[in-house]
Amino acid sequence: MTITIGLPSKGRMKEDSSAVLARAGFPVSAVGNDRSYRGRVEGRDDIEIAFLSASEISREIANGTVDFGVTGEDLVREGLAEADARVEFCARLGFGHADVVVAVPEIWLDVDTMADLGDVAADFRARHGRRLTIATKYWRLTQQFFSGNHGIQLYRIVESLGATEGAPASGSADIIVDITSTGSTLVANHLKILADGVILKSEACLVRARKPEHEGDAVVAEIIERVRGVV
Amino acid sequence: MTALPAFSVDILALFEERGAPRVDVPVIQPADPFLDMAGEDLRRRIFLTESETGESLCLRPEFTIPVCLDHIATRAATPRRYSYLGEVFRQRREGANEFFQAGIEDLGETDTAAADARSIADAAALVARVLPGRAVAVTVGDQAVFEAVLAALGLPRGWQKRLARAFGSPGALEAALADLANPPRNAALPEPAAALVMAGDVEPLAAHIAAQMEAAGLSPHAGRSAEEIARRLIEKSDLRSVRLSDEALAALKAFLAIRVPLARAADALEAFARDGGLSLSAALGRFATRAERIADQGLATASLTYDAAFGRPLDYYTGLVFEIAPAGSALVLAGGGRYDRLLTLLGARERIPAVGFSLWLDRIESVTEAAA
Repeated sequence: MTITIGLPSKGRMKEDSSAVLARAGFPVSAVGNDRSYRGRVEGRDDIEIAFLSASEISREIANGTVDFGVTGEDLVREGLAEADARVEFCARLGFGHADVVVAVPEIWLDVDTMADLGDVAADFRARHGRRLTIATKYWRLTQQFFSGNHGIQLYRIVESLGATEGAPASGSADIIVDITSTGSTLVANHLKILADGVILKSEACLVRARKPEHEGDAVVAEIIERVRGVV
Repeated sequence: MTALPAFSVDILALFEERGAPRVDVPVIQPADPFLDMAGEDLRRRIFLTESETGESLCLRPEFTIPVCLDHIATRAATPRRYSYLGEVFRQRREGANEFFQAGIEDLGETDTAAADARSIADAAALVARVLPGRAVAVTVGDQAVFEAVLAALGLPRGWQKRLARAFGSPGALEAALADLANPPRNAALPEPAAALVMAGDVEPLAAHIAAQMEAAGLSPHAGRSAEEIARRLIEKSDLRSVRLSDEALAALKAFLAIRVPLARAADALEAFARDGGLSLSAALGRFATRAERIADQGLATASLTYDAAFGRPLDYYTGLVFEIAPAGSALVLAGGGRYDRLLTLLGARERIPAVGFSLWLDRIESVTEAAA
């Protein structure tokens, strides 16, 4: 059986993933030219590399078209229902750090916690004739966190495809759920993270599709063990 | 799918006998009212689509909201009872994604005790008709009694609302109580806001906040206003060193543990109020009247239990909630409740009191099949 590993196809994530694999003894090279979307591991005919866009990787793992992938935990948990039943997070790789957070306008001086936000959301409709709106591209994580962890039901999600942090200023939403690595974008947009508003501390992970044929497969075990050994 | 259950004719006959004419509502509904009323959590449980013009549409996940919208749109006179029987569509982990529900919505009856009792009696009669001779357990709860207890304990308004919101969700309620018993420390306020909060005047604080909002480029009209923030900030600051007393916590726990036959519930609540020195007479009066009306209905095969902790954490439920299950089983066959706030939330001009219930026909079918 050939084991396929899906790696990010460009940017920092591509370099960092290749570096981790190289340290683990799997030097990755592109097949053909540098821009190729197929790669291989030198000396290993039993491993294939597929270069994919970051957002595709979690989907391809879920479909089982790749056996492993390197991608952000946030993308996997957002993209897949019941992620832990379908994939295994084998190793946290130490790069691609990003927190998924709940951020509100800094000037909401009375709102420090999710409980405060729950109070505000509950009164919102009576005061403003509409529900509190949240701009995000993380629908699933937002719903789980608000409804599941904090019992907050009364809000509406506004889909945001980019520049989420600008939504409160532009009036398209009241608050946001977004990723941040340093928090500087939030500060620049006069937003603050709630004290208990960190939904997920994400980083790049080696993720395995839970496939029955992986059971007892030596290459699968080797990849996991060697990557774990270098992070 | 999904043939109409054989016993549907019996249900329709009973609607007829009880004078609740059947309405039909379209399968395809605008999605917004459901998401607005039930919250975003519903989004992953309904079948959503979009019209060519971008309007969010869904397959009806239930009947209450469409029946109420229809009532508002046709400006029908009240009081009026509507019955329905049809398919609903929800994404479920277990069970089919499309299944039948039937029920009666009672809109505008001002004798709420009688309407509540009739709703329970109608639901019990339907269950008895389709599961003849089967003993059932009816569990009754009441949001209004819980709210009266919170008020009688003298809890701050904000706390009352927070706890009332969590009613019916044991986890959320426990978390809210723990939070109030041991409040998290608030972040330190920047100056001059801190000094303005200490002074306690809304107006200058609101002016300061408004100026800050303007500087941050936040539109003062789009969302929360400066005054709203200022008021809540001062309110919160007044409570910063207040915590839920052990006495109040003990009283709430004692209340939530009450679970007695409905016939004895009014006495049990009286005893609870007396022991705690709480004034609950208005809410208990309404509770007792309703319990009598329910007793008047003479529900032969049902055992009725009052469970003080039973509620639904949705903000349009206002009083009675009830569930019917086969005796000794947790399978809920019918669920209902009073939702006096729903019609105004949906756009009705005047307040319309309402109570209703829904039968899970797929679950009833599973019981009849198991019996056969």
